[in-house]
Amino acid sequence: MGNVDLNFKSAVPTFDANVALGRRHDRRVVVSTTEGLIEAMDGSGIERAVVYSPYAAHFDTVEGNEQLLDMIKGQPRLVPQLVANPAVEDLDTFAAQVESLGVRSIRFHPDEHKYPLRDWVVGSWLEWMESEGIPLWIPVAETDPVTLHDIAAGHPGLSIVLTETHYSQVPWAIPFLKSVSNTSVEVSRWVIADGVQRLMGAIGAERILFGSRFPDSSMGNQLYNLHRNDLSDNNLAAICAGNLDRLLGLE
Amino acid sequence: METPVIDFHTHSGRWGNTAVFDDPKRYVEIMDAAGVDRANINCIFHSDASKGNNIVAERFVSQYPDRFIGVAFVTPHYPEEAIPELERAFNTLNLRSLKVYPTYYGKPIDDPGYFPIFEWCNDRGITLMSHSSHGPADDGLTIPTSFIPLAQKYTNMNWVLAHSGNGRPGQELAVEAAQACPNIYLETCSSFADHKTIDFLVEGAGEDRVLFGSDMPLMDARAMVGRIVTSGISDQAKRKVLGLNALKVLGLDD
Repeated sequence: MGNVDLNFKSAVPTFDANVALGRRHDRRVVVSTTEGLIEAMDGSGIERAVVYSPYAAHFDTVEGNEQLLDMIKGQPRLVPQLVANPAVEDLDTFAAQVESLGVRSIRFHPDEHKYPLRDWVVGSWLEWMESEGIPLWIPVAETDPVTLHDIAAGHPGLSIVLTETHYSQVPWAIPFLKSVSNTSVEVSRWVIADGVQRLMGAIGAERILFGSRFPDSSMGNQLYNLHRNDLSDNNLAAICAGNLDRLLGLE
Repeated sequence: METPVIDFHTHSGRWGNTAVFDDPKRYVEIMDAAGVDRANINCIFHSDASKGNNIVAERFVSQYPDRFIGVAFVTPHYPEEAIPELERAFNTLNLRSLKVYPTYYGKPIDDPGYFPIFEWCNDRGITLMSHSSHGPADDGLTIPTSFIPLAQKYTNMNWVLAHSGNGRPGQELAVEAAQACPNIYLETCSSFADHKTIDFLVEGAGEDRVLFGSDMPLMDARAMVGRIVTSGISDQAKRKVLGLNALKVLGLDD
């Protein structure tokens, strides 16, 4: 009879790779405050989270990033991720901000910001990120797999994290991940049946990152799935936190 | 206290365009890992209802009678076949409820082509689940409030809104439908479920009117159970959503 854990919390240290913090322009979000986020993290047993500003993603990177940094001031459990718009922003200014703040990852939204993800737009940014060891997060729905593959293959020293990969993208996502080894996958929307095992078989645990896509999804559903996939303790710990720590240079 | 877990929403079929599997044994293994006791299984994407219903009965239910509960489907595109197939599916194949997918058929849920099907179900007290959607995944064919007049007309059957309207705008309409009709239930699987969606559905529709579903194999039952157990509703409400409500709706609680 139903072997379920009604009061599940993560059994390993957990670091969420994909959390949006702040208000959105197009709807009222369920949780938009730092306090609400911390409460949700505690509810699922999540210690830390990489957070970005949805306002930066949807409209204004400069003001959105500033809002985010202000919201998480003094909160060591939240690790800021800046959103960049390489089509309009000055790389030197942005790089100086990243360096002064110690930011460890950057997020592109090419569809939202209306630029093609091509080297003639983003190349200098990607070369800088490669040289600095700063990984790039990209929501996969915001570009096409051919373009993304070209970028990943053309910048083998750049770590790229595919976020929010959905079951409708499974037919290309597995061959993609197998083809370009400098990519990882954040699994908030990777809830297709047996998805974790399929990833494990294709690329191993080292390139899989737990993420929730909070607050557009709950934090617990994929975490529960990971805990029920017969993963070794080492692999579970790597997926839930270790791989992200390594990518961000926080080990 | 033990918790029966009934998955109200799974599909068979290989689904080459999304690269999923179609192996009953693997379904059962995942159900075991998720803690799911039994699953409603349908084959609604088949182009031929009788063949799809045969797959459900022969490949799934007959192999694992204690784990799968058969769900029939019929299509409004072949109305001359619908009622005879319903008779066969329920009387010969012993399937237990009906699923329709207006989005897949391209006909809205209130299209008159469905009415003979609804009447047949209503005469027999058959539970019917339909896709429902509004908002990010809106197709206009299954807006949750469009079920209200149907549920008020066909009152001797239960109406289950799969996905609870998909996304918060649709969920709000799904709750509105459930509040208007005591025979409307809300099923939980969705690709568009914000944090606290389960809390919202239970607070709005009541803890007796929400049913756990996974959408296997598109979504893993483990992740969808996780959505229920990590919600903020009470343990008793979790038990009802995970299985106790489904036992009642399907008449399996005797």
